[in-house]
Amino acid sequence: MPTVLIVDDHPGFRGWARAVLQAEGFGVVGEAADGAAAIQAASALRPDVVLLDIQLPDMNGFEVAERLRGDGAGGTVVLISSRDAADYGTRVSDSPVAGFLAKADLSGAALEAVLESAGQGQEPGR
Amino acid sequence: MTPRRWALVALGLAALVWTLGGGWVSISRGVQESHLLDVTVGLSFFGAGIVALDRRPGNVLGPLMVAFAATGFLANWGNLIPVFPTLGFLGGLFGAPLLVHSTLAYPSGRLRTRYDRVVLAAMYAQAAAVGLVGLLTFPRRGPGCGRCPWTPLFFPNRTVFITVNRISDRSALVVVPLVLAALWLRWQGASQGERRELAPLWAAASILAVVYLMGAFASPDAQDGFSYLLWELRAVLQISLPIVFVWGLLSTRLARSAVGDLVVALDRPLPPGGLQAALARTLADPALEVVYALERQPRAEHPDGEERRWVDANGRPVALPPPGVAPGLGPGAGTGAGRGARVATIVERNGRPLAALFHDPALDPGLVRAAGAATGMAIENERLHAQVRAQLDEVRASRARIVQASDEERLRIERNLHDGAQQRLLTLSLALHAARRQLAALGAGADTALVEAMRRAAEELRLAIDELRELARGIHPAILTDEGLGPALGSLAGRTAVPVTLVEVPQGRLPRPIESTAYFVVCEALANLTKHAHAASASVRVRLDHDQRAGRQARGQAGLLVEVRDDGVGGADPARGSGLRGLHDRVAAVGGRLEVTSPPGQGTMVLAWLPGHADHAQDHTARAGAAVRPR
Repeated sequence: MPTVLIVDDHPGFRGWARAVLQAEGFGVVGEAADGAAAIQAASALRPDVVLLDIQLPDMNGFEVAERLRGDGAGGTVVLISSRDAADYGTRVSDSPVAGFLAKADLSGAALEAVLESAGQGQEPGR
Repeated sequence: MTPRRWALVALGLAALVWTLGGGWVSISRGVQESHLLDVTVGLSFFGAGIVALDRRPGNVLGPLMVAFAATGFLANWGNLIPVFPTLGFLGGLFGAPLLVHSTLAYPSGRLRTRYDRVVLAAMYAQAAAVGLVGLLTFPRRGPGCGRCPWTPLFFPNRTVFITVNRISDRSALVVVPLVLAALWLRWQGASQGERRELAPLWAAASILAVVYLMGAFASPDAQDGFSYLLWELRAVLQISLPIVFVWGLLSTRLARSAVGDLVVALDRPLPPGGLQAALARTLADPALEVVYALERQPRAEHPDGEERRWVDANGRPVALPPPGVAPGLGPGAGTGAGRGARVATIVERNGRPLAALFHDPALDPGLVRAAGAATGMAIENERLHAQVRAQLDEVRASRARIVQASDEERLRIERNLHDGAQQRLLTLSLALHAARRQLAALGAGADTALVEAMRRAAEELRLAIDELRELARGIHPAILTDEGLGPALGSLAGRTAVPVTLVEVPQGRLPRPIESTAYFVVCEALANLTKHAHAASASVRVRLDHDQRAGRQARGQAGLLVEVRDDGVGGADPARGSGLRGLHDRVAAVGGRLEVTSPPGQGTMVLAWLPGHADHAQDHTARAGAAVRPR
């Protein structure tokens, strides 16, 4: 059962995301409301997957992903956003992340699909 | 004729009587001197003094020259009336200070430095002291009184009298260098125009120096021929002084006739700033500037009470020197003294300031006023032009502010949607997903109608989320704010139904109004071509306008060139349809230009040039070259 850290600044969203993912077999080990808390939690909890919102109050998800890679603590990072991946141009594909998931599409199955396609294309954890 | 003119005529007649009468007295008493020379010196100083009184009322030069001539003839009249020999002696003493005073005060009439005042005060004081001692010790056969029947006798002492007189004469050896030093200091601190005016003064000062150095050894009563020759030569040289002073006045008259030529020149239409050039030429002050007074502004616009604004010919605001610059106020009213000092003369019409001329303090105030008055109509004309330009600038600025405020408001709405409604709908979507999952876990036991209702609710919700996202993006694309123009255009191209090639896009960030306007241009152009052009493909090129500086932009301003081309049917008309019209307004709001070339059947090219600090872009334009396919 992969462990997940949920990073999003909306508590309501985090709560329901935890419920949905746990119901679909993920172990949610923690939540963080901003980039700094995310980096700290990732280093402490060592989750398999970081579900990382791009729009955060202190820094954006791309920066957090870079920091996590630098720390070697992030596991597999999957970016989430209420916007489309296209709204970020090439930044998503340029980032050291496994993939992108629109928040409207979030579910355990969708996350699994992203992780699977990333696993085929690249080594997890990068 | 004004009463003043009558008074001057009377003064002229009195001067004539005083001079000729004085000459006649000397002749009749058999005084040994050149009477013709004597009278010529007197008349030339009187004449120059009266001309100065007429042309420059209020200038002390006139009274000084008249006083010099009048005191000079006291000695002549002293030969007639017994009490006058002593007054004649006194008159002779004050000749030198009066001449030096005229020289130092030329041409404005004012003494400029403390040094000038100290030197002159010392000279007057010396004359007064010598006069006092001389009066008290005046001997029976004192100077100018060869055959006087009577002299005042207090303590007549020929030795003391002659000694004091000799000291007075020899003091020229000290005074002349002091005066020359005053003139040298003045030359050092003089502006170009002042130096032009001081040149004749230098001639006069040299003459004066020679005259008084000679005077130190010359005497009309001396027995040897050499001293007497010096005395006569000194009289001849003195005549040149009033000539120099009058020449200074006449040069102003000559300049005034140039004002007449200026009026003729103004008959032709002038380019903006042309009036300034014409006035600068006429007044021979290349650095002359003209600023214009704007009409009084309504109070509401200037709550701080700032009612009058001054602008240059192009309508740009200009600061006037500190208050107190009165109409026609001459030298000293402006921005300090010395080289580069400027004063302002305000040109009025019907009691209303029209313009202010910043000019060299050495210019004759009357001449500047005359030039201002003569060009009143042209100034009014140019002032109105400047006012329109200033208003246009104001309108441009306010339009830019409106567009910026609107941009910021759209950005705020987009953020509010993103952080508020959009997040709540996404949370709701997750909750619904969880509920549907629980329902599905019931398997066959679940109410099929409920399952169906939940499925439809999830679909509707999905549509609502998508529509809201599109709406937010349309209001203001977050990627533009967050990532800049390049990524925003990449995203836009990816969402356009027609295949779009991004040929060039600047990689760095640009000022926000430029980014949003450029984005708006591309967005609107792509929307138009998708709707109307029936195009198979389109291309977008955005580049920093460095290489256009010399050619296209006369002022060398850098900017951003935005070009959108398609291969569609063409025939787009900016005059019809609000899309291109709005685009034109939007581009104009940042001071840019929009060109639409759309010949029927040959595609459309939308070209926008946006002025701005294109140097803000850290990177040079990158060539993207990748075709973005529609999704």
